[in-house]
This record gives sequence, structure tokens and C-alpha cells, in this order.
Amino acid sequence: MEIVKIENLSFTYPERQQKALDQVNLKIQAGEFVVICGESGCGKTTLLRMLKREMAPHGEKSGEITYCQTRLEDLDERTAAGEIGFVMQNPEHQIVTDKVWHELSFGLENLGVPTQVIRRRVGEMSCFFGIHPWFKKKTTELSGGQKQLLNLAAVMVMNPKLLILDEPASQLDPIAASDFIRTLQKLNMELGLTIVLVEHRLEDVFPLADKAVIMEKGRVLYAGPPQQAGQALKNIDSRHNMLLGLPSAVRIYNGLSVEDTCPLTVKEGRDFLDRHFDNHTCAAMESPRRHKDTGEYAIEAKNLWFRYERDLPDIIEGLDLKVRKGEFLSILGGNGSGKTTLLSILAGQKKAYQGRLSIWGKKIKTYKNNELYKHNLALLPQNPQQLFLKSTVQSDYVEICRVMGYSKEETKEHIEKSLSLLGIAHLAGQHPYDLSGGEQQKAALGKILLLKPSILLMDEPTKGIDACSKHNLTRILKDLKDQGLTILMVTHDVEFAAENSDRCGMIFDHQLLSVDVPEVFFSDNNFYTTAANRIARHMYKNAITCQDVITMCTRNGGCP
Amino acid sequence: MNTVKKAIRILLLLGGIPLLILLGATAWNDRRYQLVTMGIAVLSVIPFFLTFERREANTRKLVLVAVLTAISVAGRFIFGPVPFFKPVTAVTILTAIYFGPEAGFLTGSFSAVVSNMFFGQGPWTPFQMFSWGMIGFLAGVLNHRGWMKQRPMLLTYGVLSGIMYSFVMDVWTVLNYDGSFGTAGYLAALASAVPVTAVYCVSNVVFLLALEKPVGERLMRMKKKYGI
Amino acid sequence: MKAFAAYHPIVLFFYYIAVLIFAMITMHPVLLAASTAGAVLLFICMYARRPKVIAKNLLYYLFLFLLLSAVNPLFSHDGERILFFMNGNAVTLEAIIYGAAIALLMISVMFWCKCYNEVMTSDKFLYLFGKAIPKLSLILSMALRFLPLFKSQIGKIHQAQKTMGLYTGDSFVEKIRSSFRVFGAILTWSLENAVDTADSMKARGYGMKGRTNFSVFTFRLRDGILLAVILALSGFLAVGIRGGAFWFQYYPYIAGAYTGNLQIFYDIAAFLLMMLPAAIEVKENVKWKLLKSKI
Repeated sequence: MEIVKIENLSFTYPERQQKALDQVNLKIQAGEFVVICGESGCGKTTLLRMLKREMAPHGEKSGEITYCQTRLEDLDERTAAGEIGFVMQNPEHQIVTDKVWHELSFGLENLGVPTQVIRRRVGEMSCFFGIHPWFKKKTTELSGGQKQLLNLAAVMVMNPKLLILDEPASQLDPIAASDFIRTLQKLNMELGLTIVLVEHRLEDVFPLADKAVIMEKGRVLYAGPPQQAGQALKNIDSRHNMLLGLPSAVRIYNGLSVEDTCPLTVKEGRDFLDRHFDNHTCAAMESPRRHKDTGEYAIEAKNLWFRYERDLPDIIEGLDLKVRKGEFLSILGGNGSGKTTLLSILAGQKKAYQGRLSIWGKKIKTYKNNELYKHNLALLPQNPQQLFLKSTVQSDYVEICRVMGYSKEETKEHIEKSLSLLGIAHLAGQHPYDLSGGEQQKAALGKILLLKPSILLMDEPTKGIDACSKHNLTRILKDLKDQGLTILMVTHDVEFAAENSDRCGMIFDHQLLSVDVPEVFFSDNNFYTTAANRIARHMYKNAITCQDVITMCTRNGGCP
Repeated sequence: MNTVKKAIRILLLLGGIPLLILLGATAWNDRRYQLVTMGIAVLSVIPFFLTFERREANTRKLVLVAVLTAISVAGRFIFGPVPFFKPVTAVTILTAIYFGPEAGFLTGSFSAVVSNMFFGQGPWTPFQMFSWGMIGFLAGVLNHRGWMKQRPMLLTYGVLSGIMYSFVMDVWTVLNYDGSFGTAGYLAALASAVPVTAVYCVSNVVFLLALEKPVGERLMRMKKKYGI
Repeated sequence: MKAFAAYHPIVLFFYYIAVLIFAMITMHPVLLAASTAGAVLLFICMYARRPKVIAKNLLYYLFLFLLLSAVNPLFSHDGERILFFMNGNAVTLEAIIYGAAIALLMISVMFWCKCYNEVMTSDKFLYLFGKAIPKLSLILSMALRFLPLFKSQIGKIHQAQKTMGLYTGDSFVEKIRSSFRVFGAILTWSLENAVDTADSMKARGYGMKGRTNFSVFTFRLRDGILLAVILALSGFLAVGIRGGAFWFQYYPYIAGAYTGNLQIFYDIAAFLLMMLPAAIEVKENVKWKLLKSKI
């Protein structure tokens, strides 16, 4: 049975020329798991919001959406609110009340369900989601992953038949994200719930989907089984941007022309390589020439110790770190391992209670006032919104130039250079909060670059941005590195670290372990490595990115 | 029409309070005014709350009031080290100007409740609720023809609201200390509170001057973008 | 120990209303003594594990008590029994005693409020008013959620500003300026993101007619019993007050009411009412000790 039918749906936002949705036709069967993907701004969020009447944006609409054979507009308000559930991207701001139990009951209270029934349903849902240990806690005390789980549970208590999720895992760390996705799978498999999901990170999601929908510029490019999505995209444009966002197995498959069904998971990817390729010609990828140790260090930390308060445990225990001049160093590590803390110590925001820390050979304590931050060290925080103070990007940039003491001409020149380097000149007049996540990231980076830093510290720059923006960021960072910038990044994103860094390190148990070139670093790890490496490690040594694997496969040639 | 009604209600409230005090004084020959006035302070906020409850709510406006309440309380942390230097009054007045008397009243009186949840509730809570709420409400009413958007008016109101706040809170001080309400005691309390009142007034003016534009811009943006 | 706090919010609410009314309605020494003793004992029970807090509070209020008792005769010269003259003004016994009574009243109210803050947590407060004023209590609930959120965001914005070189010095003016910048930034951040909250409310059907109110509190038998006890004691005391049992005057001379044989019962009732929570705490404590010793 069709649960949702979208016919010739077009939508234009007020005061905009371009259509946000253009003649969209889509059918969703009951019980289906549908994944919608596309670059930011392709209209996928608009489409999702159109499916939820209460959240539909204002604008000019044509075409029709039916839910269970009823036009969406004709649904009575209780059905519309209860049967269609919606979970948004940001875990924090969807929570309404201050207690977990109250948040869970909120939707049912709105529907006017009697207390006894609420009690039962809330109890049942807390058990299903494993919420009961923190049932009576305050919502502000939860972790990001718990918050998002709570948001999902708070929607699920209303017994929806259709669950819509807009990038629900994009703000979570990888472990919490895959837990969340697994919960969705459980809901789909065990309750037969229809799920429509928009997500950037397709690695986990693609294999679960019954149907993949790819959108571009408000149109549906492809709607069908995920296995054929890659091929379909390739047929449209062999260098299509969306290809970058597909799971590693699909990307490897796409890079090689082999007649077979497309693998989706790591396991299928391994089988696929086994079937079609060998490693007789060469089994190891030679390391490309990476950064050399010149003996000059941007950051030198020796035996750092840090804790937040006297009575709390140490977050950093005797950490040593040397960042070479001009290199790109990535530090990986699990949640709460102290990555962000380390970064704020290096940036002089927090003080280590023991140990030596010098920036460019000069002790950090001896930098006075804002000396440390002019032409020297800059930090891009995890959430770029923290950097914006003004009502336009331009005026934010001007303020920084004022702090730097640039003259009028210099200000103009620097701002123009920054904007064009990041490719955001067209956004200068906009309000920072009107930008998409990826654009905000770029605007924030542009602001930081006006400080003309020689060292750039970044905290999870790829969080919540799509594959295409990631690709852009790679390009920008490469440019900056070529200009001589030293970059230190902490991240969860193994793929991004593998592709970009000169060296990688990992924080575990409050210490920095094994700093090494990515090939060695990732080849030595079993779990903490890229999907491409997991697919090909049994055949090719040191192949860590999809491109590496494709190169190795082509070099060895296929077996019959 | 609506404004006339509102004006009548204010008059009733302002006139009703002395009346109730008088009633309380005669009914209770023991001269225990504390309870009576506390009761009055509580009663006087109730009509505002009930009118708000009865009307159809705009969800976004609801959230907005919650945000502004939290912001004005959070301001106490931002400007923490300076005593009596708090942005609550300024935020309340600006909210009232951009979102009307009701939003002003709610933001003001809720700021009192919420901030006391962190700094300690006491018998002074109803008085604070009443005075901050009233400051917001009156600012909204006075803004009827956009008067409050003129800087001299706004600043004068800032000074007046500092004095008003002191007047109401000193009722509490006198009652608390004397247990009875006498003109002499009240005047003495007012006189001794002059330095604090002056700080209130100055801080209101400073905050209004500093926040008028940035807060106004942001609230305007919310109004336009989300139609609140 | 928080045995008293475990009772149903309605019971707690009634108790506080009753206690505050009786504590403030007259200045009869028996009521004042009962109220002060009850409040201070409850406070001690609640902070039993933090003796430092208890000591600090007791010392502070003892000081306040002495100060107020000493200061009142300097301003008030009413009263018949003159002890001595100071600067030509009479210092009377009545004035000193009145000052002490006022001080007791203030201190007992302060301690009741301190205990109130511990006992009536925000969720109980919201539950009580959730039915009568659902929209307003939702706003309160949201504001209470936002506040810690904003506080942590303020810290982050502050740090971000620092690394952007926006602090040029440690001067006072500079601090104020940066405070205003942080304020502006947090305002934008919170307003912009609040739209998500509003959407999430609408998505879950907020604003439809016939909203119900869920709570995790259940009204048990023991709540009923305690409520009945509170109401009975309050009723009895109210009758006593109407009959003039707690009439007391300080000026021009000290005089109190004595309403015959019943007076002793009124006094006992006052003590019982004021001591209820402390007694419950102590009882619970003893019960646990016994249980433990049996194991």
C-alpha cells in the first residue's frame, strides 16, 4: 500500500526566483526505508518539511501530496500531528521541556491522551529505547546521542506510521550515529515503520535502505534500489558531485568498470574485490612523499597535564606533541577522550597545570594580551555559530580587520581575498544564520583567516557538512597548506583525516598515542580505519582511500 | 478600543492595591500587612496570566518569551561581577516595545521567578514579579504610537522604571522590617535606598543605550523572518 | 535525607502556604519560636551531610538576630520600661524584645524559603501550576531548560572571542565591552535556534484543544494522611487565632492573650505543625538506622 504519494510537486519560497522543488514525483510504500540524499540546497529539507503539514514552509506550492489516500491538507489535525513524526537535525533545540519524562509525554499531552495511557506508553517506549536509566534526569544533562535518542522516542510515543528524519545523525559522533541508525533499522524491521531519512553520511545508511532517492536542484534525479544508484548517477555525469558522498564500496565499484551488482557494505566490497581482482603485480601502495621533519616546530608540548577542577580526574595526562612547521596533523579519538580540551589548551583558552607548551619556540605564557592570536594562532571551533557576532558576514569580517588594525584599503583587500579563497563572495551580505551548515563553516573559516594565522587549529571541521562541502574544504585546506600554514585538526572523521593529513595521531586514555603517516597509522588499526582500508586490507597494504584502492585494482588488473 | 480596555485594567490595578491595603488594615486590626501585600502582589499578576492563558497561543511567541526570559536571567551571569548592574529591566522593556505589553509583562515577571529559582525564592518573589512585569507592561502600552522607540522617551522610561522598581521593592523592605506600613518608615526606606535606586537607574540607562540597537535589530529580524 | 520532599507536591504546597501564613500572621512568641525551631531543624536535617553549610548559615543568622535586636531600640523609643538613656533617647525593654521578635520572624521565613528551594524543585512547581496555567508553566519549563544551555554557550562564545583576539586588555571597560558582545552573540544564537524548538512543538501537535497533563507524581495514602493532618492542625490554629489565642502586643507594654485551658492545646498545635517536616526527616533517619542494624 502506498503511504505517501507525491505528484508534480513544485514549490517556490517567497521572493525567490528559483524553484526549491520542481515537479517532484515520488511514491513511498508502507514499511519502506527510504533514504534521500543530495547536496545542500538541493531541496531535500524542503521536501521533507512539505510532508509534515505543521512544518510546511510558506511559499507558492503546486501539485499534490496524499497520505494514505487522503490529501495532506484534508487530514484532521490529530492524525496529522500523531501519525507523521518528524525528527530534526540539531539534538539540542528540538527538546522542549527540562525533564526527560516530561519531554517523552509532551506529544501525548498535546493529543489529549489520558494520564494512565500516557504512563503506559511512556514506560513502554523508555524500555524499547533503553531510556529508563535516565528517565528522571534533566534534559540538559544528557549527551548529544542521548538527546537525539530522546527526540526520536518523544516522537515514537505518539505511534506514528510515517517517520521523517532530517539529518538526525549529522551532529553525533560516529559511534552515537551508528547506534542511532541501528535504532532506526530496529524500528523499521520490528515495527514495520515507514522511514524517510535524509542523511549525508551514507556509509551506514545505504545498505539499510529499500529505496534511495537522489535529488539535485529541486528535482529527483534517481529513485530506486540503492544498488543501482551509483550507476545511474554515473550515467548522468561521470564526475557527478554526488558520487563523492556514496559509501566507499559503491565508490570503488564506480571507479572500476566491472559487470557485477554493486556492493554496498564492507563485506560485500571485500567479496567484490576477491571475485574480480588480485594482488600479483603489486601488493603494497608506496607512500607518497609526505612532509619532512625540518626540526622546526610550530607547537611543542611536553608532559602536559590538565584537569578542570582540583577534585576532578585528569583529562590530559602527561601528553607530548610536536607539530612540525607547515604540516597537516590530525588527531583522532573517541568521544570524551579529551580532543577538544587538548585543542583549547594549545589555543591558550585553558591552562595546563603542569608541563611546557611553546608556540613557535616561545612559551605560551609569555605571549601578552592578544599577541598570540594576531598573525599567529587561530582556532576554528566545532560550532561555527560561536564566531558570529554581527548581522552580516561582511560586518563580522570588518570587525576582525578593525581588531587587526588594517587600514581601509587593506581591510577591503583582505576581505575580498578571504571571500574568494572560500568561494563565498555572494554570501557576504547575508545574515550568518541564514547560511547552510557548510556555508557557515566556510564563512567562519574566512573570518579566522583574516587573523592571518600561521597555525590553524580546527575542531571537527567536517561535522554536519555534506560530501561536496567536505571536498571543497579539502581543496581550501590544501591551498592554505601550500601557502605555508601549519594545520592541526582534531576529528572523528577517519576518511577526511586519511585523505588530507601528513600525519595522524590518536588520543586514548588521556595520552597521545602513535603519531604516524596516515598509511601506516590506518593500516595498523583494525577498527579505527577507513572503510576503503577495511575493504581492501586483505589484498593491498597501505591503501586507505577509495582512490588508493581503485589505483591498486587498476594496476593489478582484473582476473577473469 | 483594546488599549482603552487595557488602560482601565491598569488603573483598576493601580488603584485597587491601596484599596486592598486599606481593607486589609481595617480587617486586620493586628496590622499584619505582610500577608496582605504579598497576597496583593500575587493577585495583581493573576489577571495578566489568565488573559494570556485564555487566548489562542502563537507557539513561536511562546518560545520567544521563554528565550528572552532565559536571556535576561543569563545576563545576570554575563554581567555577574558588577552588583545591581543587571540587564533584566532593559530586556523586558525592549521585549515589550517589539512584541507588545503582554510579552513584556510575561518576560519581566518570569525573569523574577526563574532567576529566583537559582538565587533563592522568598517573600520578595511576588513583588519582583509585579514590578518587573508592570515595567514591561507599561512600556508596551506607552509604545502604542511608537513613542518608546524615540531615544529620550526610552531613556526617561528607563530611569522611571528604576525608581518604580525601588518604590515597589521598598514596600517589601518596610513591611519586612516594621511589620507595619507607615509613611515615615516608607520614606526612610526610600531615602536609604537612594544609592541603590540610582544604580538601578544608571544601569537601566546604560543597558538601554547599549542594547537598544542590537536587541532591537535582532527582534525585528525575528519579527520579519518568522512572522511572530 | 529527603523524606519530606518525597511527599506529593500538593501536600508540600499546602504545607508551605499554611506555614508561611501562620509564621507571618501574628508575632506571638510561641508561634515565632515554633516556626523558627521547625525551620532551622528542617534545614539541619536537609543539610545533615554538609555541616559546613549548616554552621555558616546558623552563624550568619545568629549575627543578624543580634544585630536587629540591638538596632531596633535605637530607632524605636516606644515602650514603658526604660532601661537607660542614650544620647538623650530612651532605650526600652519593649523595643529590644520587639526587635528580637522581628528578627526571629525574618530568620524563620528565610529558613523556610531555603528549605522550600530544596524541597519544591522546578518539576514539582511546574506540576502544581501545569493544570491551572498550562501555557505559562510550559514557558517556565522552557526557560529553565534554556538557562543552563545558554550558560554553557556563553562560555564557548567567550572563549571563541578570546581566540579571535577581541580582548585587547584586562581593563574594566574592556570587560564590559566584551560582555556586551557576548550578550549580543548569545541573543542571536538563542533566538535563531528557538525557531527549531517552536517547530518541534508544532510537529508534536502543540496548540490543539483538550491538552492533558501528565506527571510522574502519584497521590498515595500517606500523602492523604499528611494532608489531613496539616489541614486539621491549620484549621484548629485558625479557630484559635479567631478567638484571639495568639494576640500579642509589644507596645506600649508587653501583653499577651490567655484564652483559658485551650491555650496550651493551641500552643501544642502550633509546635506540631511547624515541626512536622523535621519530625518526618528524623523518623525516616531512625527507621533506616534500625533497618541497617538488623541486617
